[in-house]
Amino acid sequence: MDMLQTSLDGLMIGSTYALLGLSFALVFGIMRRINLAFGACLLFGASLAIYLEPILGWGAWGLFLITIVGVALASAYVERLCFAPHSKRHGALTAMVASFAVWMQLDEISSQLLPQRTHAFQGLEVPNFWWGEIFVRGDQLLHFAIALVSILLLYLLLYKTRLGLLIRATADSPETAHLLGAQVPWLGFIIFLLAGILGGVAAFMILSADGYVTPLFGLWSTFKGLVAMIIGGVGSLMGAVLGGLILGLVETHAGAALGAEFRDMVTFGLVFLVLIIRPGGLMGVKIYRTDSLARDRV
Amino acid sequence: MLSVNNLVTSYGLIKALKGVSLEAKKGAVTCILGPNGAGKTTLMFTLAGILTPDTGTVNLLDQNLTGLGAPKILRKGLALVPENRLVFADLSVYENLLAGAFTQSRAMATQVSDDIEKMYDRFPILKDRHDQPAGNLSGGEQQMLALARALMSRPSILLMDEPSVGLSPIIVDEIFAIIKQLNEDGMSILLVEQNATKALQVADYFYLLDQGKVTFSGTPDQVKDDDIIKRAYLGGG
Repeated sequence: MDMLQTSLDGLMIGSTYALLGLSFALVFGIMRRINLAFGACLLFGASLAIYLEPILGWGAWGLFLITIVGVALASAYVERLCFAPHSKRHGALTAMVASFAVWMQLDEISSQLLPQRTHAFQGLEVPNFWWGEIFVRGDQLLHFAIALVSILLLYLLLYKTRLGLLIRATADSPETAHLLGAQVPWLGFIIFLLAGILGGVAAFMILSADGYVTPLFGLWSTFKGLVAMIIGGVGSLMGAVLGGLILGLVETHAGAALGAEFRDMVTFGLVFLVLIIRPGGLMGVKIYRTDSLARDRV
Repeated sequence: MLSVNNLVTSYGLIKALKGVSLEAKKGAVTCILGPNGAGKTTLMFTLAGILTPDTGTVNLLDQNLTGLGAPKILRKGLALVPENRLVFADLSVYENLLAGAFTQSRAMATQVSDDIEKMYDRFPILKDRHDQPAGNLSGGEQQMLALARALMSRPSILLMDEPSVGLSPIIVDEIFAIIKQLNEDGMSILLVEQNATKALQVADYFYLLDQGKVTFSGTPDQVKDDDIIKRAYLGGG
């Protein structure tokens, strides 16, 4: 029964990692870019939400909303400042280094907004309950549902709309998309905005489950997102979801079996194994094609 | 119909096209022959708006296309089937066809689905494979898909850059039968080809492009009688 309880907890946490991984996979899979300032965007959104909360007094749902808007704004800002000017083939490294600099900037703004190291982060009030012998945290169940809905909405956007088809065609071959007149003006902006919204949802879920936010949250979420993407398959959206769930499961099981201090060690051991055995990640079968594409464009 | 006047295109300091003039007539198949490096693909890219010419003009049915950029040129009725096909490998066959109709407005949705049905009639293999990723198709099937995708924009002239490249002789025969059929249905075609023997079966008029210049132009009969072309392209002596 413990096994089942731990797995359930792992899945719940994994669903938030899946969202973090999806944000990275969106940006990498479509733009072939890595945004190092991603975690800092999350931290900024969360800090802004806590900073504004006493002024506006909207409660937990207000925090939710402001976090999402804040992260999306920061993400869009990073795109305009670091990625849009370097969208050409040779810009990948410049963009990445630029995003590193903005990471510092956003971190600094966040600590100006929240001068103390630890701030309480209010969660949604949902009653917990027992399901047979399994204890279910109400807020985590709600988070899981929100994650599923977010993933479903993203799927519908990418696979069932004209904009989604345009985005996927451009991701597949930007040159051919251009030839067919299938350009998306502001493509990078839209992708970063989407990644920001997903990241904002994830940030709220993680922080409200923990009940507090510290300045370390930014770096932590960058790691979790990157790891989820690497395990699942670099640039694959399905892979990122799978990678996030696996990461959640492995972490909670490692924590339960070996103790909390081994959690991160097991995680990075897993990344190490994946990189050796299947460098493209679980769903990254097309890594060689993707890789040549990336090299092409980089 | 399509008239190209004194077109010059360069890559940096290197002039790839040194003043090319040619004419593609309505309802005809016009063929450009030429060795590797002659500037054939550069010419195609310039006509389709991927490259911008330094000087010269491109006119299609009284519209000036010069330097408009690929999306606008496509909207004005000139579609290019690029060399090596370049289908969207991860997208399904159906989605590739939809992608070809991007220039059609949303209001045209029913017309677009009618067009897709027409493509399925013309290329039944695409219907059989409509939900498969285009990357899983064979070379010949990908060529058909690229051709159908270009037709989805309802062009008034179709440019094809070496449709026979990398395909087996049987498939090449099939592709040329399709080109002939398209032409008989009224499509104007500008074809770049190295396979002169096949091109002679479909084309009405020929240009020979060499080192960025048109060095010969004539009817199929004149091509067959020209000693240099015979030696270089038809394998005869």
